Amino acid sequence: MCEEEILRLFPERIRGRWQEVAGQAEKLQEIRLRAGKPLTILVDGKEWFVDARGRIVDRQEAAARQESAELEEILKHLCQYSIYAFADEIRQGFLTVQGGHRVGLAGQALLNGEDRIVNMKYIRYLNIRISHQVRGAADPLIPLLYESGRVMSTLLISPPGGGKTTMLRDIIRQISNGTAYGRGINVSVVDERSEIAGSYLGIAQNDVGIRTDVLDGCPKVEGMMRLIRTMSPQALAVDELGGIEDLRALRMANGCGCKLLATIHGGSLEEVLHKNYMRCSIEEELFERYVVLDRGAGAWGIAGVYDREGKPCIKR
Amino acid sequence: MYKAIGIICILTGCVGWGNRKIAQERERIGHLRVMCRILERMQAEIGYGKHTLPEICLMLTEINNECYRKCFRRIYEAAAESGSGLPELWRSEFLAFFADQPIQEEEREVFAGLPDRLGFQEETGQAGSIGQAEAFLSRRAVLAEESCENRSKMIRSVSILTGLLLTIWLL
Repeated sequence: MCEEEILRLFPERIRGRWQEVAGQAEKLQEIRLRAGKPLTILVDGKEWFVDARGRIVDRQEAAARQESAELEEILKHLCQYSIYAFADEIRQGFLTVQGGHRVGLAGQALLNGEDRIVNMKYIRYLNIRISHQVRGAADPLIPLLYESGRVMSTLLISPPGGGKTTMLRDIIRQISNGTAYGRGINVSVVDERSEIAGSYLGIAQNDVGIRTDVLDGCPKVEGMMRLIRTMSPQALAVDELGGIEDLRALRMANGCGCKLLATIHGGSLEEVLHKNYMRCSIEEELFERYVVLDRGAGAWGIAGVYDREGKPCIKR
Repeated sequence: MYKAIGIICILTGCVGWGNRKIAQERERIGHLRVMCRILERMQAEIGYGKHTLPEICLMLTEINNECYRKCFRRIYEAAAESGSGLPELWRSEFLAFFADQPIQEEEREVFAGLPDRLGFQEETGQAGSIGQAEAFLSRRAVLAEESCENRSKMIRSVSILTGLLLTIWLL
C-alpha cells in the first residue's frame, strides 16, 4: 500500500488536502466523508480528523467540513466518471474501487413497490475502507490449517473490521503457492465484492497465489456452483457468509470434495453458532477449523482456533 | 519567358489552393465518420458491456485511426494508471488534437465536450446521451458528404478563375 494509491481515490484538484492522510497509508483503515460533517479518518483503530489544510488533528472543532458538491465529485471520480457501470453496486450500498478498497454509500434509498431498493440518490455519506494486503498475516495460522499435508476447511470469524478478509487473502495466497505443511493446490475464489483479489479489468491486483482462479463480482451461491463445475478447485474461498443459501452452496461444494475457506461476521464461535443457518455446521462438520479474530487479541489478532467439534485448539 | 513562367506559377498556386480546400473538406468528412464510429462503439460498450470510460478508452486504442488511437492511449494511461480526472483529460486531449484539424467549432465542441454528457446512473440513459452526440455528428457528416461534390466543383472553378483573373490583372 503506497501513498499514491490513497491519493488516487480523490480527484486531482483536492489531492493536496489528502497528502498527509496518504502518508499514513500503512495504518489507515477508514476515511469517512459525510456531507456537512467533519472529515474523519481511522488510523490504527483510533479516530482522527482532517483540517482544511490537510493536517491530521485530534480536535473535532479544528476539522474541515465536507461539502456536498465535493462529495459528489469524489463519488464520480471513484466510479471513474462511469456511474452507470456501478449501478448495481450503488444499489447494494457499496462499491469496490481499483486496489480492492471498498466504499460504503448511504443517502436516500429509492424503493420499488415490494420495498426493495432499486437505486440510491443524494449519496451524502461515504466510508472508504482501505484494503491492506498483509503478506504473512496468516503465518501463525497456517500450521493449524493443515492435517497430514491436507488443507482443512476453515471458517474465519470476526466483527466488522477485524481483519477477516486480510487473513483470508493471505491464507488463499499461501495454500495456493504451497507451504512447508503441504503442496500448493488449486483455489477458486468467488469475489462477490472484489475485496479479496481486488480485480481490475479482470486481473487480481492483490497477490492471491499462483494456483488461484478468481470469479469477480459474482453472487456467492451462483459463483460457487459455477466454479465447482468449471474450474475443478481443490479449495473454494468466499467472503462474508450471510444466509442459508450461502450455507447450502457450501454444503454442496463440501460434498464435491472441495475444501472450504470462508469468513463470517461474529464476535465469537458461540455467537456464530447461534445464527440459525450456522447451527448445523458443527453437526455436519462442514468446517474443520474455526478461527476467531479480534484486533485487540495480540499478534495478528488471532483470539482463538477451534476444531471441527468446536473445541479450542488455541485460545488466548 | 518570365511572363509564361509567372502565369504557370499563379495558375498552379490557385489550383493548388482550390485542391487543398477540397481535400480539407474530405478530411473533415473523414473525421466526422471516425467520430461517429467511436461514439457508436462507446454506446455499445456502455449499453451491453457496462464498461467504464477508461476501459472503453483502452478498447478504442485499437481503432483503425492512428491519431485517435494515440489520443485514447494517452487518456487511458493518465486516467486509469495515474488516476487523473477523465473529463479534463478527454477535453484537453481532443481540443489539442482538433486544433490542427479541419473540423468546425461546433463539431469539436460536441466531441471534446462529451464528458458533459456523463453522470447517468443507468447504462441505457448514458448510451442514449452519447447517442445524441453521435446523431449530431452523423447528420453533419451526411450534409457535408451531400454538399461535398458540388462544393468541390465550385471551389475548383473559383480557384481556376481566380488564377486567370490574377494573371490578366498582373499582365
